[in-house]
Formats: sequence, structure tokens, C-alpha cells
Amino acid sequence: MKSDETLGSDAHLLRSIEETGRGFYVAVGLLLLGVLWGVFAYGTQLTHGLGVTGLNQPVSWGFYVTNFVFFIGISHAGTLISAILRMAQAEWRRPITRMAEVITVMVLFIGAGNIILDLGRPDRALNVLLYGRYQSPLLWDATSISAYLTGSVFYLYLPLIPDIAILRDHSSKYRFLYTVLALGWTGSKRQIRILDRAIAIMAVVVIPVAISVHTVVSFVFSMTLQPGWHSTIFGPYFVVGAIFSGIAALIIFMLIFRRAYGLENYLKYIHFKYLGLLLLTMSFLWFYFTFAEYITAFYGNEPEEMKVFWAKFTGDQAIFFWTMVICNFVIPMTLIGIARLRTITGILVASISVCIGMWLERFIIIVPTLSHPRLPVETGSYLPSMVEWGLMVGCFSLFGLFYLLFTKFFPIISIWEIREGREVGFEEVVERVKSYLPNEEKTPISEGARG
Amino acid sequence: MKAQRPNPRTVRAAQLGLLAVFWVSVIGIISWIVRLIQLSLELHDIPSASIGISLVAIPVFLLLLGLANYVFLGLLWDDSHEAHPSTDDER
Amino acid sequence: MARWGMVIDLDRCTGCAACGTACKAENNIPFVDPEESARDRTINWMDIIPAEEHGEHNGGGPMMPRPCLQCDNPPCIKVCPVYATYLTPEGIVAQNFGRCIGCRFCMAACPYTVKYFNWHDYRRKDGFHLYENPDVSTRPAGVVEKCTFCHHRLQLARERARVEKRPFRAQDYVPACAETCPAEAIEFGDLDDHNSRVSRLKRSPRARSLLQELGTKPKVVYLVREHQNEIG
Repeated sequence: MKSDETLGSDAHLLRSIEETGRGFYVAVGLLLLGVLWGVFAYGTQLTHGLGVTGLNQPVSWGFYVTNFVFFIGISHAGTLISAILRMAQAEWRRPITRMAEVITVMVLFIGAGNIILDLGRPDRALNVLLYGRYQSPLLWDATSISAYLTGSVFYLYLPLIPDIAILRDHSSKYRFLYTVLALGWTGSKRQIRILDRAIAIMAVVVIPVAISVHTVVSFVFSMTLQPGWHSTIFGPYFVVGAIFSGIAALIIFMLIFRRAYGLENYLKYIHFKYLGLLLLTMSFLWFYFTFAEYITAFYGNEPEEMKVFWAKFTGDQAIFFWTMVICNFVIPMTLIGIARLRTITGILVASISVCIGMWLERFIIIVPTLSHPRLPVETGSYLPSMVEWGLMVGCFSLFGLFYLLFTKFFPIISIWEIREGREVGFEEVVERVKSYLPNEEKTPISEGARG
Repeated sequence: MKAQRPNPRTVRAAQLGLLAVFWVSVIGIISWIVRLIQLSLELHDIPSASIGISLVAIPVFLLLLGLANYVFLGLLWDDSHEAHPSTDDER
Repeated sequence: MARWGMVIDLDRCTGCAACGTACKAENNIPFVDPEESARDRTINWMDIIPAEEHGEHNGGGPMMPRPCLQCDNPPCIKVCPVYATYLTPEGIVAQNFGRCIGCRFCMAACPYTVKYFNWHDYRRKDGFHLYENPDVSTRPAGVVEKCTFCHHRLQLARERARVEKRPFRAQDYVPACAETCPAEAIEFGDLDDHNSRVSRLKRSPRARSLLQELGTKPKVVYLVREHQNEIG
């Protein structure tokens, strides 16, 4: 079975590569403007030092570290959808996996990049490689994120190979690139077996690596002795938050490209409903962890912890804290929990709300603790400057740009997986459901009755 | 400027080149981790942390490298033994 | 090998801040202009902080000097990714300005907030730099700095002893703050010498460590005022 068979209806998925509409150029233009603002902001920072931000003593971490944690958090979108759903043999994952995996790869660059942006001496960043100390959580970050990035790129590439082979055979553009990347894919049984096996192994390997990534990111905070940070719940809390924000980001991207590339036939309501219900589950889980965290602090009533606690609940950070709770819990619970409101628009609004809420959660973890040092000195405050806003906009724009460029070279929905679903998925599912039910008994009476 | 069918030799070279890049990166990362273990032993700075982490990280990278080899070489070998008898020298 | 420590007697301290001023002069602490100061960027290796929390004196109460506490179990060195801050064999928590990448993790980890950052290039070139202490390097933008127990004075004292062909004595080395204090509230010396004044004071019943419950084992210890039970 060669791969250059007729694509049929799936040829629609190659349209985004073959044709480029005006909307694409407008989008790229806007995103480039955002990136330009970021570049200009960073140039200012390189020239004048980190003083151009709103950071100070004692609030020495702010937007950049928030963005670092936020972007790394979103990278869990790919893992959850692709790996876990693949292992759970959930058939509805098929049109979603590619988008999820691309988010992971692109966002890891941006996330790690934010750490470089935060350094006072980025020209000395190589010191981490030359003189690294493995006792420092930052080194755990570096190792873990390298492993996750390598693994995710590989995990994105594997199911992409058959799709690249289709492009090699059907497209007139980029022949050399596709021929090289297709690795001589012919769709032979042996090749399919190799790929299936490799993907299955990767699905298992990438999950613990992904969990380790956000756990060690949380250790950056929980390994210190600061009130509000030195908590054992941080590892699981961050992982849950990451999966939560990852699903939300994925839903948003799915809806953007569904509209832009006319993918309504592939990304149907059922996909959004299931993802929305997952989002709702994560919302409850997030609330549970948050509740456990704060009630422990409150009940213990330790003076240093309570300073930070009251700053978040009623003090100068209260507006961010309560917005976060509304965005992360109240809105998703309403829009997704109530069946009548669980429309595509409702799910989209809930997802945007969660992204905002989870960004605020990262901010709320970092700034109040730093503002309230243990010693009896003045409470700190933090107001981000235009440079920090510029770099944040630049990061989001760069992410969008990377993503958009990807869709110009590779199909954003995995053609191969859709095909696999049509050709193999049905039977597999029927067999599976049969195996759950009691086996048919062969008695003489029933055999005669069947005649 | 692009030929209708790219030169198979160039393609093969680029594919093996990709695999080589992967090898270099993984070997590089593993050497880096080993170097940091060395450094922590020299400076008596909690070598257990470095060794502990390397015991987890290095196998993961080796596994990725192994899988990459498996996929790359497996697919390329199969391709060179498929229906191109006229250009296939290896049969 | 010596282990350097400090005892600050809060009963003698008048809050005059001569120690802070001496430190600034000795260590070329950058002058942070009023605008930057208003944005909370002042650098005070030796800071003078309120001696009590929520004092009844409403901020006008007793003050106390706070250098780097030079912990024996420092939270800051654990988190530094590049060995830019580390514990020397003599117990000083060193700060390597040439290695620091400015990640500010140590700043976030220190429970005493003794670490400061160069948010801009604060070095002066307007002639004022001629007044600087040539024994202490000035720091570029983007690196963390903190009290070093005037480590350069230790190096100078050792060199002088070698030149004069005599053994190094602990009393040859004293940081600027201890030397300057007009009330002689700051005692400095070798904690490993059981009979040194600083060791004896550290064993005083009035001796307390700041944030003792954290287990950082600071080598800067305070002697609380009479009738005072704890500090901070």
C-alpha cells in the first residue's frame, strides 16, 4: 500500500499548505508587530539593565518568572491529549493530537526563553552549562526541560512522518524538505509496525518526563523557606494547574484554526464537549488543591504565612486573587457545568477565562510572598513597566507566529490518524466493547433456535 | 530551481545528517551532565544530587536516542528495500 | 582554620547607622539616586531595620543593624545554579560577582533579604569614583551583591602578616562596621576560638539568632535588650 493514493475528503486538510489567504498575511503582520515590540523592549533592557522593569527590593521576580511558569504549564496540553488519550485508546483524540503536540514544542522554547529574558547577565547564561550545580532547582529545570523538549519534538515528528509522505507525493512545494523528512515512508506493514511501536513507547515515556518538568518548576519555589512557597503541595498543584491551562490553551487554538481553515467537519462539537468536560474536571481539581493549600495556612495561623494569606485574601493582592478564583472556577463551572450553556462559545469563553485565571495564579504565587519578607521591613510592591508588558506581548506573538508558520508546512490535523480511525478504529472499538460484555454461550437449544 | 525528484543520494545524506544531529545533541547533553557530576565531586558540593539526577536523566536520553535510531534506520532500511529495484544497489 | 562570626549587642546599639555608612564607604556600595530609591532599589549591605515587629512606637522604635547573617546552613547557596555564592571554609558566604548570572534565585531564597541586585550600572565615572576603595571591586549591572564580612580586609591582613613574617592573628581582621561602631556594639572574631570575646558573647544568656526556627544557623548573633525575650 503506497502512500500516494487518493486523499479523498482529507485533501481539505492540505489546503492550508497549498493556499495562503489574505487573513494569513494580516495575522502574520500583526504578530510580527508584537514580536517587534518585544524585541525593542528587550533591547531597552539589555542597554539599561533590569532596572527598566518594575522589579525592586524585595520583589525581585515578577512578570518574566510568571510567564516562564505559565508557558511551561501550557506545554502539558500536548502530553495530556496525545499521550494519555492515546494510551487510554480514546478515539476522539484523533483530530486533536497534532495541534496539542505543536503547542508543546513551540511553547517550551518560549517558556525557557523567558528565563533568559529574566537574567541580569544573559551573556553569562552559558555559566549554567559550564559551572552548573545540581543542587539548584534551576539545573533540575534545565535538565528536565531539555529532556521534555527533545522528547516532544520527537513525539511530534513520529506521527507526522506519514503525513509528510502524503505531502511529498501530492504537493508541489518544498519537495526536498518533505522527501528528506518523510524518511522513505511507503506505508508498508513493516514501517507501520515500527512507527506504531515507537509511538507507543514514546507515549509512555513522555508522561513521566512531562510531570517531572512542572514538578521541578514548582520546586524552584517550594525548595525555599519562604512563607507561601515552602509547601509540599506545590509539585502536584503545579502539574494539575499546567494540565488545566494546557487544555484551555488547546481549546482556544482549536477554535481559531477551526474557523481560519474551515475545519468544522473535523473538529466537531463532540470534541469540544469532551475537552470542555476535561476542563471542568481539572477546574474542580484545581479548586480542591487551592482549597487544601489555603485552609492549611489559615488553620495553622503562623504569623509569616498569615501576612501573605491576608495580602491575597483582603489586602492589595485581593483583586488578583479573587479574579483568579472567578476565572478558574466560577466561570468554567457555570459555562461548562450547566449543560445548556455548554455551547462552543461557552467553552471558548471558559477557556479564555481559565488562561487568564491561570496566569493570575502564577502571579499570585510569586509576588505576595516576595512582597512580605520575614524580617520587619516595609512591605514591597510591584508595578510592571512597559518593558515587561512589551516582552509579554512579544512572547505571545512569537508563539502565535511559530504556530502559524507550522501550519503552513505541515497539516494541522493528523491525516494519518484520521485514516487510522476510519480504517482500523471502528473494528478495534467494536472488538473491545465485545470483550467487555459476557461471552456468547454455545448451547444446543440456542443453536437450534438460531437455525 | 527544485528538481522534480530530488536526488536520492542528497536526500539520504540529509536524512542521515538529521540522525547525526540528534546523536550529537544527546551525546552532548549526556557529556554535560557527566561534566557537572565531575565538578560537584571536585568541589565537594553534594555529589549525590548530581549522581541521583543523572541516574534518571541519562537513561531517558539514551532511550530517546535508541528510539530515534530504531525509527530512522528502520524506516530508511525498509524504503531502500521497497519497490525501487532499478535504483536499489543493495539487493 | 578560623570561623568568623559577629555578635551585635542591642543594648549598646544607639541606631546611629555609623556601621551602615562605614560599610558603604568601605565596600563601594553604589549610590542609588532618589528616583531609584523611591522604587525600592537602595542597596544596604548593612541595613538598619526596626528591632521589633508592629512596635508600639509606630516605626520610631528601636532599630538594629542587619548585615548578611552569614549562615552556616545558608539557603542562598543551595539554590545558586552557577557556584556564584558559596560557603568558604572559614564560614563566610562568598559572592562571586564575576560568575553571577543575575537569576536572583538567591535573593528569593534568602529569608533575611540580605541580597541586593544591581538593577542598573550604578558605577560612577564622574570623578566620584576616585574616592572608591581600591581593594573592593565595583559591580556591573545585573549581578547580586551582599555583605562579605569585608573579606578583602581578611586577605589584606593575611598578606600583611606574611610580609611581616609573623603569624596571622584573628584580631588583625575586623570588618568596617565593627571597627566603626562608636558604641562598640559590634563584636567580631573567630568563633572557633573558645576564649575569644565573640565566642564568649555568643554563649551569653542574652544571645538570640534571627529566625532561629528556620535552622539557617546564622553566625551573626544578637544580644537582646534587658526585659526583651526574643527579637524580630
